[in-house]
Amino acid sequence: MRTPDAIAVAPARAASRLPWIVLIIAVGILLPLLPYMFKTSDYVLNIFMNSVTYAMAVLGMVVVLGYTGQINLAQAAFFGFGAYSVALGTVSYGLPFWVALALGVGISGIAGVVLGLTTLRLGGHYLAMITISFQQIFDLVAVNWIELTHGPDGIAGIPRPSLFGHELSDQRAFLLFSTLVLYALIWFAWWLPGTRLGRAMRSVRDNELAAGTVGVHTLRVKVTAFTMSAVLGGIGGGLYASGFSYISPDNFNFARSIEFLTATLLGGAQSAFGGTLGTVLIVLLPEWFKDLPESLRFLTKVYLAIYGLAVILIMVFMPEGLWGLLRNAWGRVRKTAPQAVGKIVPLNFDIKVAHRTALLKLENLQKHFGGLKAVDGVDLEVMPGTVHALIGPNGSGKTTTLNVVSGIYRPTAGKVLFDGKDISLMAPHDRAGQGMGRTFQNIRLFSTMTALENVMVGGQRDNNPLQEGHDNLRHRALSALEFVGIAHRANEVVRNLPYGHQRYVEIARALAGHPTLLLLDEPGAGLNQTEKQELVGLLKRLRGHGLTIFLIDHDMGLVEKVSDKITVLNFGKKIAEGSPQDVLRHPDVIAAYLGEGPSGAAARA
Amino acid sequence: MPLLELKNVSSAYGSVEALRGVSLKVEAGEVVTLLGANGAGKSTTLRTISGLIRPTSGEIWFDGKRIDTISPEHIVRLGLSHVPEGRRVFPGLTVRENIMLGSASRGRLPGKVIEEGVEQMFRIFPDIKRFENALGWTLSGGQQQMLAVARGLMAKPKLLLLDEPSLGLAPVIVQQLFATIREIHALGTTILLVEQNAHMALSVASRGYVLETGNLTVEGSTSELLDNEEVRAAYLGGHGA
Amino acid sequence: MEALANNFQVLFQGLALGSIYALVALGFVLIIRTTNVVNFAQGDFAMLGGYLMVLFLVGMPGNPDLGLPALGLALPYWLAIVLTVVAMGVIGIAFNYGVYYPLRNRPFLPVLISTLGASIFLQNTVLAVFNPQPRPLDKLVGVDGITVGGVFLDSQYLVILAFTILAVAFQYFLFEHTLLGKKLQAVSQDKDMARLLGIPVSLMIIITFVYSAVLGGLAGVLVSPILFVSIGLGSAIALKAFAATIIGGFGDIAGAIVGGLIIGVVESFAAYYISVPYKDAYAFVFLFLVLLFRPQGIFGEKVSEKA
Repeated sequence: MRTPDAIAVAPARAASRLPWIVLIIAVGILLPLLPYMFKTSDYVLNIFMNSVTYAMAVLGMVVVLGYTGQINLAQAAFFGFGAYSVALGTVSYGLPFWVALALGVGISGIAGVVLGLTTLRLGGHYLAMITISFQQIFDLVAVNWIELTHGPDGIAGIPRPSLFGHELSDQRAFLLFSTLVLYALIWFAWWLPGTRLGRAMRSVRDNELAAGTVGVHTLRVKVTAFTMSAVLGGIGGGLYASGFSYISPDNFNFARSIEFLTATLLGGAQSAFGGTLGTVLIVLLPEWFKDLPESLRFLTKVYLAIYGLAVILIMVFMPEGLWGLLRNAWGRVRKTAPQAVGKIVPLNFDIKVAHRTALLKLENLQKHFGGLKAVDGVDLEVMPGTVHALIGPNGSGKTTTLNVVSGIYRPTAGKVLFDGKDISLMAPHDRAGQGMGRTFQNIRLFSTMTALENVMVGGQRDNNPLQEGHDNLRHRALSALEFVGIAHRANEVVRNLPYGHQRYVEIARALAGHPTLLLLDEPGAGLNQTEKQELVGLLKRLRGHGLTIFLIDHDMGLVEKVSDKITVLNFGKKIAEGSPQDVLRHPDVIAAYLGEGPSGAAARA
Repeated sequence: MPLLELKNVSSAYGSVEALRGVSLKVEAGEVVTLLGANGAGKSTTLRTISGLIRPTSGEIWFDGKRIDTISPEHIVRLGLSHVPEGRRVFPGLTVRENIMLGSASRGRLPGKVIEEGVEQMFRIFPDIKRFENALGWTLSGGQQQMLAVARGLMAKPKLLLLDEPSLGLAPVIVQQLFATIREIHALGTTILLVEQNAHMALSVASRGYVLETGNLTVEGSTSELLDNEEVRAAYLGGHGA
Repeated sequence: MEALANNFQVLFQGLALGSIYALVALGFVLIIRTTNVVNFAQGDFAMLGGYLMVLFLVGMPGNPDLGLPALGLALPYWLAIVLTVVAMGVIGIAFNYGVYYPLRNRPFLPVLISTLGASIFLQNTVLAVFNPQPRPLDKLVGVDGITVGGVFLDSQYLVILAFTILAVAFQYFLFEHTLLGKKLQAVSQDKDMARLLGIPVSLMIIITFVYSAVLGGLAGVLVSPILFVSIGLGSAIALKAFAATIIGGFGDIAGAIVGGLIIGVVESFAAYYISVPYKDAYAFVFLFLVLLFRPQGIFGEKVSEKA
């Protein structure tokens, strides 16, 4: 199924975006310089300062919620760690600003690590509760531990720093400085999703189970996300303290965390620009309300209630925020450029089939769920370089066996040996790191990412024998996509691809990780006859390259064409094993599938 | 006029097209079976009929009314009861309570009428009577299946949809279950039976259809289907003989 | 002897407050079990209950910016309670259609955030109608309290305990002995199966929201004479009710009640023996620890078991 060589498409997208980029940069440079050019009141400068420092905190939310999908309602506490460290450090302890700021960021970061570690056990609502509890404790300490934090009186007289000898005491100068810091952070947040870590974060957000199975260290990624969020919040808080010279506890409470959340959602959680846009709107909204005609002036009094309503409406009608709306509109105008396939290097497999012993071995494998013995003493060997199928009627234990092999379940008893090594208790991402690849029956792709990005995540597994570097990873991914025949669609977001192509992307994702063993869970599910023929061809080519395949499927035609050996399960036990011809005519197997008639069981009894 | 008729029904499960232009009929008083390997679309067919899935095209007619656009709650009130696969007894309610809830579609009934209905179910399913106050989750697979069917029958349906009743049950239990299915049929209920176990299904049905990846491939009376090469092929591939 | 009396006092107080947490937790757990929604606005139902009582017993101060006139009312206490119950019922229905229904098929994160939004909306709407000043509310019974064996038992605490016992008994009766209760349980155990039996699931869910809102509102009516009616009342109670749910085992009704009582007692003793300002913190620290070491709570199943 070779695709015709597509003419390399010139990067037209970048060229047509140029005028917009220039415009944005121009505005970006001009904005912080405006106060120097025009006389601006302190009031307006304060609004700018608010926007800039809050935007930093919101960028933290973009990283942890938008990119990684983890709910964080303690962002105001992180903001507060930075602010109080600078305030107390400079005012009470006489530390230089930069030292106090570094300290604040450090403390905030540690708090981020702690919260991130809680995601090991908890997600979802529990995580929300933990972060809220953390925020509330921060609140209570800030208000009540008066000896340390000065309580509700707050801390005044926070100095401004000097930078390379220049005093930043002028509000405009400090604002300029803070804006430049914000730009740097926006650039960082914009650059992050395209990095290795960024892709790992997005994979955790889109499908955490699949991410772990293809080799992503999901806990490590979540902790990193929380730490980054905390650090960004801490920087914002530190600059906030110095910018306003006075802080008090009610700037860092739960209500503020909700404001950060609202700003993130409004602007668009999944984009650095979205977050910034949302912050500006949230800060400016009350101000704009003041300029409204008399009849609508009451809105200033109820804008917080409007926030609340807005949050609900955003979740219902525009979960991707304003930026998401803008980008979708843009996307309709501009179509994705197809990927040039002319120069893609063929995929290499690097499989060393050194030994004659089994690559995968199950020893008396047992998996029980309460009283149900889903897998009841299965012994099985998969020889290297073969295609081995596991079949059986519904409820026979096939999928459970596969899940134990890939690490999603722990065995109740018995062992799983991979290349001689006992991996029975190994986490899924470590199994990927040993060279085990897997696809899922109900296709678990990272739905918001492109085919190329999905496959690149597969190539990011530990110990992948691949040279360092983004380009190498990208080329590997393209090679994998080319092997399964859909490289020309590499730049399309996977949820827009037809079902059959999604299946191929999943296979390519596993191939990018140089697997020695490929576990396929009903690869034929949902495919029509033509697509299944293509799949058979693909599997044969994979075997031809030395890959070992262990698969489950219900389509016996497919299984027969592609397998070297078949094992049959029924009620969790092995009832037959051998070549397709032998197994599919075996009377026990036929009886298991077609069932026994009334006479059959009577004869047995 | 058939009691149930599907006219060229297509339906999707997630993004997969699970049924492709399926047409079938069930006449009043029959037991008809729908056979096929796993993944063929049998459960999807029943879920489309009972309204849990809305078909993407085609029509479904029940008792002279078109039902492919109405909700499951309404469909069951018309006399079509679906016992879904996996038994799905309410785990935290007792056997008696499970059965009582089966009458929910018949509107406000006097306590006595419900009581009588429950007692009748215990006569048909004597094995679960001794568990009448036990919670649903404590029953064995076979007992839960009996309970699920009893609950489905409490709706006094004109048509009973049974989805893979033999799933996960030991052969001996399956025997008892199908004997009971014969009894229910004898009492006047029309049944559309989805089963993986082709032989058991054909022992109670008079007619059958075979589904293969969403398409209806074989149709015939029981005698035509028993030991039919094509049926075997549908399960075990082209060379299953 | 006096120490014993004091301890008993603290215990009594803790049980009373804990009952309030338990009542709110009950409504909370019901919503979780029927709809799988964790309702962050649950505590605000209590806040609304308190403010509705203020409205009916005293009136509202009016807000010139919003064009709201000042209103003086002085309805009899019993009538105020009846009207509050009715109003909370309406609020429950509105909540069902406004917050739950549009998001019923979405993953949990948008729904969670929506309920947070609802909480903010409710709090700030009330803030706009009334002002931020906390208000007292008269006790239900005219008597201050009774003294038994050297221990002073506040009448409102007694009322709270009595009501909680009644509410728990009522809920038990409803769920275990009526067909409606069975239908509600069925919906919470397997929604699709309930639909297949002809149970009107949407109606059951509306009933759940109405019941939870009324229960929460009554909790607010009962606790307001003690804690004062204020905007933040809801948030404080909500978090502890949530903690109660987790401690008792997420989704377990008996657990929520036990959890609520435990939190009330822990808080009461901690405030008495350690310090008062940090009173709220103890509940959170306790929750933090429970979540870290035993997230399944007392009665619940293991949380981290992968499916």
